[in-house]
Amino acid sequence: MLATDFSILSLLLWLPVAGALVCLVTGSRAPSVPRWIALVTAVLVLVGALLLMLVHDRSGGWMLLEDRTWIEAFGIRYTLGLDGISLLLIVLTAFMQVMAVLVSWRQDKAPQVFFALLLVLETAVIGVLLALDLILFYLFWELMLIPMFFLIGIWGYERRFYAAVKFFLFTLVGSLCLLLAVIGLYLLHGAQTGVYTFALEALKQTELSAGQELLFFLCFMAAFAVKVPLFPFHSWLPDAHAEGPPAGSVDLAGLLLKTGVYGMIRFAFPLFPAAAQKFLPVLAVLALVGLFYAAWVAFSQLDIKRIVAYSSISHLGFVILGLAAWNQIAVEGSLLLMVNHAITTGGMFAAIAMIQLRTGTRDLNQLGGLWKSQPNLAAFFLLFSMASLGLPGLANFAGEILILIGVFSVKPLWALFAVGGILMSAVYTLRMVQGTLWGASCEPFDRRDLDAREWGILIPLALLVVLLGCYPQPLLDVLREPVSALLLTGGQP
Amino acid sequence: MATLLVLILLLPLAGGVVNACFGNRLPRPVPVFIATGSVIGSFLACVGSVTAAAGDGYRLTLFTWLQSGNFTADVGLLFDPLAAVMALMVTGVASLIHLYAAGYMEEDPDQTRFFALLNLFVFAMLTIVLADNLLLLFLGWEGVGFCSYGLIGFWYSKKENADAGRKAFIVTRIGDLFFAAALLWLFALFGTIGIEVINGRAGELAGTTTVTLLALLLLLGACGKSAQLPLMTWLPDAMAGPTPVSALIHAATMVTAGVYLLCRLFPLVSLSPLAMAAIALVGVATALYAATCALAQHEIKRVLAYSTMSQVGYMFLAVGLGSVSAAMFHLITHAFFKALLFMTAGCLINLAGHENDIRRMGGMRQRSQAVFWLFSAGLVCLAGAPLTSGFFSKDLILATAFAKGDLFHQGLYGLGVLTAALTSFYCFRLAYLVFGGDFRGEELPHAPHALMLWPLLPLAVLGLGAGLLNLPHLLGGHSWLSGWLAREEDILHLSLDTEYLLVATAVGVFVLGWLAAHLRYRRFREHEPRGLRQFLLQGWNFDALFARVLVRPFRAAGRFCSHGIETGVIEGLLAGCAATCVSWGQRLRTLADGRVNHYLYGLLWGMLLIVGWFLLRAVVS
Repeated sequence: MLATDFSILSLLLWLPVAGALVCLVTGSRAPSVPRWIALVTAVLVLVGALLLMLVHDRSGGWMLLEDRTWIEAFGIRYTLGLDGISLLLIVLTAFMQVMAVLVSWRQDKAPQVFFALLLVLETAVIGVLLALDLILFYLFWELMLIPMFFLIGIWGYERRFYAAVKFFLFTLVGSLCLLLAVIGLYLLHGAQTGVYTFALEALKQTELSAGQELLFFLCFMAAFAVKVPLFPFHSWLPDAHAEGPPAGSVDLAGLLLKTGVYGMIRFAFPLFPAAAQKFLPVLAVLALVGLFYAAWVAFSQLDIKRIVAYSSISHLGFVILGLAAWNQIAVEGSLLLMVNHAITTGGMFAAIAMIQLRTGTRDLNQLGGLWKSQPNLAAFFLLFSMASLGLPGLANFAGEILILIGVFSVKPLWALFAVGGILMSAVYTLRMVQGTLWGASCEPFDRRDLDAREWGILIPLALLVVLLGCYPQPLLDVLREPVSALLLTGGQP
Repeated sequence: MATLLVLILLLPLAGGVVNACFGNRLPRPVPVFIATGSVIGSFLACVGSVTAAAGDGYRLTLFTWLQSGNFTADVGLLFDPLAAVMALMVTGVASLIHLYAAGYMEEDPDQTRFFALLNLFVFAMLTIVLADNLLLLFLGWEGVGFCSYGLIGFWYSKKENADAGRKAFIVTRIGDLFFAAALLWLFALFGTIGIEVINGRAGELAGTTTVTLLALLLLLGACGKSAQLPLMTWLPDAMAGPTPVSALIHAATMVTAGVYLLCRLFPLVSLSPLAMAAIALVGVATALYAATCALAQHEIKRVLAYSTMSQVGYMFLAVGLGSVSAAMFHLITHAFFKALLFMTAGCLINLAGHENDIRRMGGMRQRSQAVFWLFSAGLVCLAGAPLTSGFFSKDLILATAFAKGDLFHQGLYGLGVLTAALTSFYCFRLAYLVFGGDFRGEELPHAPHALMLWPLLPLAVLGLGAGLLNLPHLLGGHSWLSGWLAREEDILHLSLDTEYLLVATAVGVFVLGWLAAHLRYRRFREHEPRGLRQFLLQGWNFDALFARVLVRPFRAAGRFCSHGIETGVIEGLLAGCAATCVSWGQRLRTLADGRVNHYLYGLLWGMLLIVGWFLLRAVVS
């Protein structure tokens, strides 16, 4: 553990907000300045995160910890901690954020506000990934809502307001359960020990009856399950994707969905291990149902963005199934799939945005034959699609197979069902590819292929898709110790 | 040696990647040179390293692909005699097909994509061949599926082509699921996915139901890729792809991957007599089914597609009979003559002015002597004419079945012989329709490129002569292939009488098929496809059956989920909640209507309630 006065974590955390302020201040005069500021900030955060990746040690504990008093009266502290899992997700967040900024480069409707909101969102997500004090965590958790709400509500498509409100209400209801449970836990812990605190490590020691534990656990899970989103709490996601701006979709898929899973493994499972263990089968069943259900719904959609949105739900079902197996291989696979899914889906949404820019539509019935007019764009789209349907050697497969192997060792039947899900993903993904790339050309009004900025977005994503598919070992090495530490605290089945 | 071995894989991969990424920026013939050169290089590397495979083989681990908990998947190669034979065949045939494709695709504007995919295919296929663990094998397994998808639908502007590609991908992926399930189970049993360890420890499972189920899962996996019953419907449609693709993927290599998989895991598979019987049955049933379908086809490539399915059925039969060397022998000879047949069919289609339909061919010999001889060479091999390679390899399988002696295997032998008769019949039907009489079409010939003819010559020689690879003792051979594969137990020791009887039967059915075709097709007569003919033309209507039994319910389930549950139940519930909130809000709103007297009433009643409450409390206490 590095204990220094100079707090790297806080710097990393608040850098985007600083960037956001600069955006707001300068942007009103020169509309092209905010995007550069956003880009520079995002790149700086990415570089910082990557540097942390280089210097981090791989022993299971906290690599960096920052602990300050904040509101002493209520025992609320400003505690940030970094381990392998959060580090990996922060690197992912920072990377996806750079992509999101680049994707929305041509944003000309109040760009200073747009980019400022994007940056605030980044701080919120990083905060969620670092916070170890439950109130601090909750604040960042809620902070994620606000920029996203405006991003969808202001910069989205036709039904943007509906989608934004739906997103907000869904997640808010979940979060309120979380807040109630946090306060309840705080009071119980205080009554037992006389020490009123929101610190995660302390609260883990709280003695709870089985009923209390289950209740708290379910409240926590309500917030996280909505965010994942786990079937049947998913219905906000397709709307948010379909109506949100491209950067919103990239961020939703890349950052926000991950926080739900992160919340489960960082808070819900370690705080209430006994309840979590009892709940695992339920979680697995929901995951499996969601896996197939979302795939079937995706199969019947016409809007390609909605197809990808439902495919996200389906893939996240896979991730949750891996958690439900609760062993080293499956959980490592889940986390790996989460990262890979973010990159694949981010790539998909970026490519879809470019397709929409050229054809003016996302409707499968109107699209077609894009390979003829835009072969390069089409090739990237095909690559991301293949990664998404789990072609070995591309990103998603590595996570999926680990999950399957891990799950099979505990519950063979679950794994066999999940194998069927691989077929489902092929069915709906190929239908989408078919309607978009092949067949008679839809004659896009803009026949230009990729420009330099678009190459700049798609190449890194594509390289990562291939790299993480062929050599995901560095990521798995980062995850190994934290995951085995997690499995110890999260209780044994 | 390690370098050469890596080069076998790396060259096609590099060629494919370079062409995929930069091919469009290179001047016109360069991508073709890269593609062809890399595959030929791979072939040479294969030839150079083949000695290392002798005996126990050569192992090489490159790097760790995935490692988590006690699970490890390396990128490692196992170059044993079986892999070496297969790799030599794959790279050799692929080299010739690449040369042919250079001529065939000369005028296609999109040839870079074609060659990139073709190279990637060769890489994926070689991964199947060389992988030392099941997960890496699975990578190749899915990889060939993707390349096949991309190449079947290569001319994507026509929707049917793209649809055929998708069908191939999805149907073969159904098989892949079973393979994946077997992989998971094997890891759970042995704690490893290394092929050698699994084969070595398979004996622990002898006599259990587990091993039967595992073998059946592997069989289903193999059925998908090899287009065996019941996962066979994709192969005829796959003929929508360019002809070199049909020759390489859908004749010589990918469709035989299933056979190879079963051979690779033979020590495991062979532990279950039940599964072996199932493999033999699937094989012979497919062989017969496909042969009957081939009788009625109109398109030259579809005839060949069904014949491929049928011949792969023979290979499955051989595996089911426990004779790895017979399966591999037929696999190799078939690869030679079927690749030859497909590529000459490509020439014929060009010569007939891009006409696929054999009813509108005829008299093709006048258009090109060379093509006539090459196609005939392929056909006699397929029909099993004495002394050609197809004769020996098919005969070995049938003799093995016969030699088992019991009723079940005699039955298999009988069906195999029947199929052989049908095969000979449809081969000569094809010959008479294509070459007999006068040209019945209208199109002018489109002369094939020289590159489309020369690579066929070695294939014709190999097709006619590859029987020498495993010449039985009866004819003075030494069963070289069985020896190389260390499968001496596959060598038959039959009495001379039996041998002569079997050979005589084989020759007999060949002549019978020829005679029947001669009588029926010597003169061309057009028939409307009706009744049985239509039934066979449609492949026993399996497509319609699957559409009704599988596709339609699947779509219905999709509609049910998206319209019924998603928009109906879930969105409905949400809308209901929202509407309830709004209506309550509206009702409460009427309370705040701005009339002072209403507010005063409210105040009064409220005061009364509070005072009443306190009074009540005072009274009760």
